[in-house]
Amino acid sequence: MRSIYIRLSVGIIFPLPMLIIRCAFLVLSAVLLSSCIGEDIVQDFVSPELRIENPLQSLGLDESYQFEALYLNNVGKPEPVEVRWFSEDTSVLSIDELTGTAIALSRGQAVVVANTLTESPVTTFINLQITDETVSLNPEISGSITSSGSYRLTGDFSLRQSSQGSLELLLADNYEASSSLPGLYVYLTNNPNSINGAIEIGRVIVFNGAHSYDLPAGVSQTDYNYLLYWCKPFSVKVGGGTIN
Amino acid sequence: MIRNALFILYFIFLTIPGLQGQWVREQGKGYYKLSAWSLVSDQHYTDTGEIDPNATRGYFNVNFYGEYGITDAWEVVAYIPFFSRTYQNEQISGTTSEVLRAGESLNSLGDVDISLRHGLFRQGPVVLASTLKFGIPTGNDSAGSDGSFQTGDGEFNQTVQLDVGIPFRIFSYTGYSRAYLGFNNRNKGFSDELLVGGEAGLNFLKRRLWLVGRMNVVESLQNGSHSVQSNQGSIFANNIEYISLGAEVAWYLTERWGISLAYGGAVRGRIIYANPTYSAGVFLDIR
Repeated sequence: MRSIYIRLSVGIIFPLPMLIIRCAFLVLSAVLLSSCIGEDIVQDFVSPELRIENPLQSLGLDESYQFEALYLNNVGKPEPVEVRWFSEDTSVLSIDELTGTAIALSRGQAVVVANTLTESPVTTFINLQITDETVSLNPEISGSITSSGSYRLTGDFSLRQSSQGSLELLLADNYEASSSLPGLYVYLTNNPNSINGAIEIGRVIVFNGAHSYDLPAGVSQTDYNYLLYWCKPFSVKVGGGTIN
Repeated sequence: MIRNALFILYFIFLTIPGLQGQWVREQGKGYYKLSAWSLVSDQHYTDTGEIDPNATRGYFNVNFYGEYGITDAWEVVAYIPFFSRTYQNEQISGTTSEVLRAGESLNSLGDVDISLRHGLFRQGPVVLASTLKFGIPTGNDSAGSDGSFQTGDGEFNQTVQLDVGIPFRIFSYTGYSRAYLGFNNRNKGFSDELLVGGEAGLNFLKRRLWLVGRMNVVESLQNGSHSVQSNQGSIFANNIEYISLGAEVAWYLTERWGISLAYGGAVRGRIIYANPTYSAGVFLDIR
């Protein structure tokens, strides 16, 4: 049988079957190498935040109140840190620097300030009135969702206390979402770019018009600051809205 | 957002066919190719036709493609992706380096296609052939933590196609051109599809080197009831549409043996990956 040889430009002579085997091997090796699981870097940085979890509209004169603070780190996850509390006018309101226990001393306007003792301190504050009675601050929690890409996603939403006492997410009449996405889920999160640390509300099965979701027990209005729509199979944000 | 099983198959066919016009092979003649094909995608065309990012997914397979002339007018064509792999990259926090989602992969057989091609008409340089292709769901259509890792679409589809071809000459170089029109009948609620495309090949160096350019168009007839929402986490979307362009370089090392490299990608589409595909293979052309 006549052997066939191929001379490469570098002067090496390969018998044809060997060259074909080598070519096939090179191709398979290249493809196998390209099919290894790699890493995608997710840009999930958010500015750290200190949040007063139980704000008041007013505190009754001579009453005391325990403020609670929640620190969210640079990926929006809760992290225990030391917090110091201050009152801007100690003649109106005194507050324990370490525990956050406040006592209303006289009628007037008070400002409660909280600072973290982290490397980069984070500060927050609330205004409250010292009056005859203590009134919780139950702000209207609402927002608008928008698409972060080119899929249709729009509408208004609000969070409200349901008759059973738990929180409810209400999507308004003007809500619209693309039904082309597989595995679209909705979350509450403190990081608009990640579901790490987020709470999953449910799979999206309504793509038009008003509807609602019951939120899990224990979720309060001040726990999260962003409503996130996320395509789970492809780990990608579809859109969302800041909770105002 | 994202689907592409069939889309992947079309891209495979964008790059695999043997180097000939549209006429069937003579009895006993054949073209056989062992290829590796790869797509790594971090973006896709959305339902509005714009491009959005996605977590990086990879698809590759090692496949056998063969055309064999049963008679002078009939040939059988087989595409067998005997090893298919799909995977998704690990998602790592750029802030804390924490693993947000572990990588996943699936290895299995892919969907096999078996076709019968019949030479219909030959008049001077113009030739006409028809193809009946059966897409057999031998791949895995649901795997991974959310069911979205798939190497097949899970449906049995049939395509009928009509090819017309004319050889041509540019200066002293000869080549071939062909155009096709096809109809893909899909099951399980997937919309049927209209397939249109063409290719042109030109040879150099006494037929040792072939340069081939291809274009494929898939238009959904939007008549399916299948919704991505009916399948938890499925990425096998319905109503995929695209226009893809591809190129192939084939080098005959001998009269029969050769190697080829191919490239393809969608230049316009809906619900389809927006990254290029690559393939490389070794072929045996028995003429």
